[in-house]
Amino acid sequence: MPPLKAGLSLKRKIETENKVESKYEQESSNTKGLEELTLSELNIEGDSTDSEHEGNEEGSDQDQDEVLFKDSDVSSLEDEDVEYASDESSELTDSEAEGESVNSNDNNNAESEDSDTESDAESGIGHTHGSSGSESEKQTLKNKQKKKIAKQKIKTKKPDKDLKEKSQNKKGTTSKGSVDRLADVIEGSSQMQPVEQKDEYESGDTSDEEERRNTVGDIPMWWYNEYPHIGYDLDGRKIVKPPQRDQIDEFLKKCEDPDFWRTVRDPSTGQDVVLSKEDLQLIQRIREGQVPNPDHDEYQPWVEWFSREVLATPLRAFPEHKRSFLPSRSEQLQIAKIVHALKMGWTKTRKQLAAERRDRREKKFYNLWGSTGEGEGRAPHRPVPPPRRPPPPHAESYNPPPEYLLDAKEMKEWNKLKETPWKRKYTFLPTRHASLREVPAYQRFVRERFLRCLDLYLAPRAIKMRLTISASELVPRLPSPRELQPFPTGEALCLRGHAAPVRSVDFEPSGQYIVSGGDDGAVKIWETSTGRCLRTIELGEPVSRVLWSPAPALWLVAAAAGSRLLLLNPGTRIGHHRRAARTDLLLDEPPPQHDVQPDERTASAVKWERVTPEDWAKGIRIAITHFKPIVHVSWHGRGDYVAASVRAEGGRAVCVHQVSRRRSQLPLARLAGQVQAAHFHPARPLLAVATQRAVRLYDLLKQELVRKLRPGAQWISDFAFHPAGDNMLVASYDRKCMWFDLELSPRPYQTLRLHGGAVRALAFHRRYPLFATGGDDAHVVVSHGMVYNDLLQNPLIVPLKQIRGPEVKDELCVLDLRFHPTQPWLLAAGADSTIRLYS
Amino acid sequence: MSGDALEAQLQVRFITKQEQYAVPDSPYAIQCNVHPADLNTLINAILKETSPSFEKAVIFDFLVCGELLCASLAEHLQEKGVSTEDTLEVEYLERFPAPTPQDCLMHDDWVSAVQAHSSWILSGSYDNSLHIWSTKGQHKLAIPGHTSPVKAVSWVSFQGDQATFVSGSHDQTAILWVWNVPRNSVDCMITYRGHDKGIECLSVSADGNRFASGSWDNNVCLWSASLAEEENHPATKKSKPEHGTTRNPLTTLKGHKEAISGVQWMDYNTVLSSGWDHLLKIWDCDLGGIKQEIAGNKAFFDVDWSPLNNSIITASADRHVRLYDPRSTESIVKTTFTSHTGWVQSVRWSKTKDTLFLSAGYDNQVKLWETRSPRTPLYDLSGHEDKVLCCDWSNPSLLISGSSDNTLRIFKAKHAVGNA
Repeated sequence: MPPLKAGLSLKRKIETENKVESKYEQESSNTKGLEELTLSELNIEGDSTDSEHEGNEEGSDQDQDEVLFKDSDVSSLEDEDVEYASDESSELTDSEAEGESVNSNDNNNAESEDSDTESDAESGIGHTHGSSGSESEKQTLKNKQKKKIAKQKIKTKKPDKDLKEKSQNKKGTTSKGSVDRLADVIEGSSQMQPVEQKDEYESGDTSDEEERRNTVGDIPMWWYNEYPHIGYDLDGRKIVKPPQRDQIDEFLKKCEDPDFWRTVRDPSTGQDVVLSKEDLQLIQRIREGQVPNPDHDEYQPWVEWFSREVLATPLRAFPEHKRSFLPSRSEQLQIAKIVHALKMGWTKTRKQLAAERRDRREKKFYNLWGSTGEGEGRAPHRPVPPPRRPPPPHAESYNPPPEYLLDAKEMKEWNKLKETPWKRKYTFLPTRHASLREVPAYQRFVRERFLRCLDLYLAPRAIKMRLTISASELVPRLPSPRELQPFPTGEALCLRGHAAPVRSVDFEPSGQYIVSGGDDGAVKIWETSTGRCLRTIELGEPVSRVLWSPAPALWLVAAAAGSRLLLLNPGTRIGHHRRAARTDLLLDEPPPQHDVQPDERTASAVKWERVTPEDWAKGIRIAITHFKPIVHVSWHGRGDYVAASVRAEGGRAVCVHQVSRRRSQLPLARLAGQVQAAHFHPARPLLAVATQRAVRLYDLLKQELVRKLRPGAQWISDFAFHPAGDNMLVASYDRKCMWFDLELSPRPYQTLRLHGGAVRALAFHRRYPLFATGGDDAHVVVSHGMVYNDLLQNPLIVPLKQIRGPEVKDELCVLDLRFHPTQPWLLAAGADSTIRLYS
Repeated sequence: MSGDALEAQLQVRFITKQEQYAVPDSPYAIQCNVHPADLNTLINAILKETSPSFEKAVIFDFLVCGELLCASLAEHLQEKGVSTEDTLEVEYLERFPAPTPQDCLMHDDWVSAVQAHSSWILSGSYDNSLHIWSTKGQHKLAIPGHTSPVKAVSWVSFQGDQATFVSGSHDQTAILWVWNVPRNSVDCMITYRGHDKGIECLSVSADGNRFASGSWDNNVCLWSASLAEEENHPATKKSKPEHGTTRNPLTTLKGHKEAISGVQWMDYNTVLSSGWDHLLKIWDCDLGGIKQEIAGNKAFFDVDWSPLNNSIITASADRHVRLYDPRSTESIVKTTFTSHTGWVQSVRWSKTKDTLFLSAGYDNQVKLWETRSPRTPLYDLSGHEDKVLCCDWSNPSLLISGSSDNTLRIFKAKHAVGNA
């Protein structure tokens, strides 16, 4: 038993002892010799069966017992011992062996009651010592012996009477006795335990004094029979067996040694131990079933250690466990859980709960006269909760106890108060129904429940959360135009001079001059900063398109008048004089035509002409006559090639002229639809041709169609490449502008509907991220069109400003748009024969 | 504004820097809602009381919190966020008298450049000719010689009967002319060649020895303006005998990325230039390098610098005239003068008053500005019927402007009594 429990079970032990003692008193000396009891009990069956045919033997046994009793005049315990010994000796058929067997038996008794192995070993030892008699014989002997013990016991219990009755109803008594004995065994075992415990403690104390101790442990000792030693001591040295004695030695010793009867051999060491008087007394007390310690006062006054009085210090003798000095881990976890819950607001402390309860208890009055205004104050949507109704009393039950039902007298009073029902005891008449089904409302119950559910379903009381999204949140977030400055915001100059709608305008590459061409057949050169018309070149035919050559070395303007494409020198006195003079010099002499032999198809479409001296004086340097009127002209970025589109269908509609070598090409074999515009790609050798519905990109080197863009417009008017070349803007007569990301898809990245009329003109700024569109609706729209180098970022298109354009004339307004090459200025050619500069 | 504020009284102390108009230094309690005219009456009355010699009524301008008072005093103070509780110091000064239109000189074409001297006015026109007028409006001489519109003219020197002037044109040349006044004959002395594109502006240094020109070829060139033959420029002497000798630039200052729209001498070797590339550059002529750079955000059309207050005013491609301080390292506009409704094409400082300047715009207006009044100009000199291309205030008494309505208009500035 662990020490912790030992203290706790102190009380129980004392109690059991008491009980045992009381039992002892009751049964007088009914139970004696525990070992014998257990043994007899174990062999009860054998006993009962053997008893009949061994009846005669009993007598002789009895006699022997008697004799032995007379022989040895000691205590009862010793009696038994002797008795045993005699039995053993009889068994061994030699009375000399008695002492040894007594020894072994004593040993057995002194040790714990049920050390079977040891007893086995001893019996084994005994057996070998005996060296005669077979296994079965030994068994029978044992049985006999046990029976004798039982008989003897009975005899000792009931000395004289039992002896007489024994022969008559031996069987009955034994059987009855065995039951009693069994109960006694149980009692005894419970009684014995603490005693034995105490014993062990004492032996533990005395163990220090022993010099030699066998360390082999709890093993059968006969394992060492064949060895000279019997085990090992604490230092690991062999414990040598003492010299063996044969039976003669034993006998001699028995005769000589007066203490032989109380000499036992320690099986673990093989030493002979002479039991002291105290030891004998102890054995005797154990055999008697008494408390082994003779000093123990069984009847000492009762001290109520464990009472209901609370003691100042606990009644514990053992030191506190380490655990009790350390904070509990599980508690800590629990506390942490609670703290977390408090932090998260899942639980509340008792204090908070109390405060809440207090708050709830405090009456809150509905502010009837509070202001009905906005903000706090009276909130019409939060109704005051109705007071809670008390739970229904017994009388309201469908089956109230009879005392709640109205008896005749009460019924009388009930009826009497018919006129004044509020004075009645109840507002209802307690009625008894055998079951809920008989309650009158049950008939309507299902239908009512159905109606309620229907009501809840069709008219739910839940507050409906309406999604409030204003229209402004759906519009994509665009930067403010203020952040995207500079861009043209208003008209700065108005250039007047044309007599008819101005069809086309362009800036000189450095931005100093403007060239314009109109329906009046005049090409005019203007100064940008002042709007001064510096030169007018009359061409005679309406000019549909003017374009300043981007070539840095040339001083040339391409003008399309009717079916003629004219290359003009704007004037040697304008701008860069030397460059103008050089251009004249260059264009005066046609290059040798030796190897340039135009094929028939080209020759049928295009004819290069020498200009007359009058035209030369006007400024015309080269004239290229096409077979149809020209609708669109555009320069290649380097200024050597110019693409002209004529109003025709088929492959001859687009013609590319090379100025330096004065020859033409028809790059397209065939083309479906009428050409609207043709532009060179700003960076790559691509030619983009817009027909009525589609824009096609041709690779001029590989001579193949690269891409076909379908803007989805009914009629394309014009298009323009972003200066970086990856994006394209297409304008259409059906009021739309389509932004294409050429890397992305042949479908528009974005469609801009910025105009109320046809979009006729559009332009990109070369430096600023700006583009402008203009059309028939009297407005020019300037937009921010930022193209990022990052391929993952989409172009940012922000319409910035709607500028009032030129005046509308004949349902036309803006016919051409052009950005200043360096400044954020926009030039618009107007149908009202003016040119407007916006800045 | 509430009625209380209108009724509120205000402690005002009048101060002036013009001694002859000094009034006693005692605070006056006046109403908040007084206008400059009322204050004017008050000052005149006080002056009449204090000094018996004061006879003629004088019109004063009032400076409150460093800005000219235009509206009522209360509005002005509210705008400035000044408390009406404290005693307010109001500085007053004699108003610059209104210029009176004096003459309108008709030209054959747009007048693109003009400069006046003490008694002569030189103008350049888009008909490639120069004109010399007397300040009385008499046409003295028409000088053909350029082959393209004349964009800039400037007097160089007057030595006795001989007057020297220089003209720059879009024909890429500048020509130094010598005008014999009594004989009224002009000679083309030196032709300056070196620009690749048209000359846009000219400026003669203070000593008259050098002049700078800005051109569309993005360069500023410095030329020698002395009539003496220089040995180190023997080249191309005989190329154009009818135009006298030819000279090449002394220095070419390269740095602008766009056309030069205006040049001004700041010092004997410092030149200020403005360009269409939104930059003002101050050049060191000896080293040929940039001393300082001021970035604007619009293309500059004209620039002028005043030695009196060391400030730069610019005209740019918008409605504003901007005042820069060349000493500040950051490109911060000190003041923006807004009243024009079109592009401002030309600005000129007054040569005598450090707070006045003239601006000409494409809204047909010439405006006379006071630097302390950024919202409203002192006077609008109207009369032109088309874009005003140039203006000049070299002669302190003449405010001249040339326009694209082929006229040169002269306004006479009367000297203020106090300054006389």
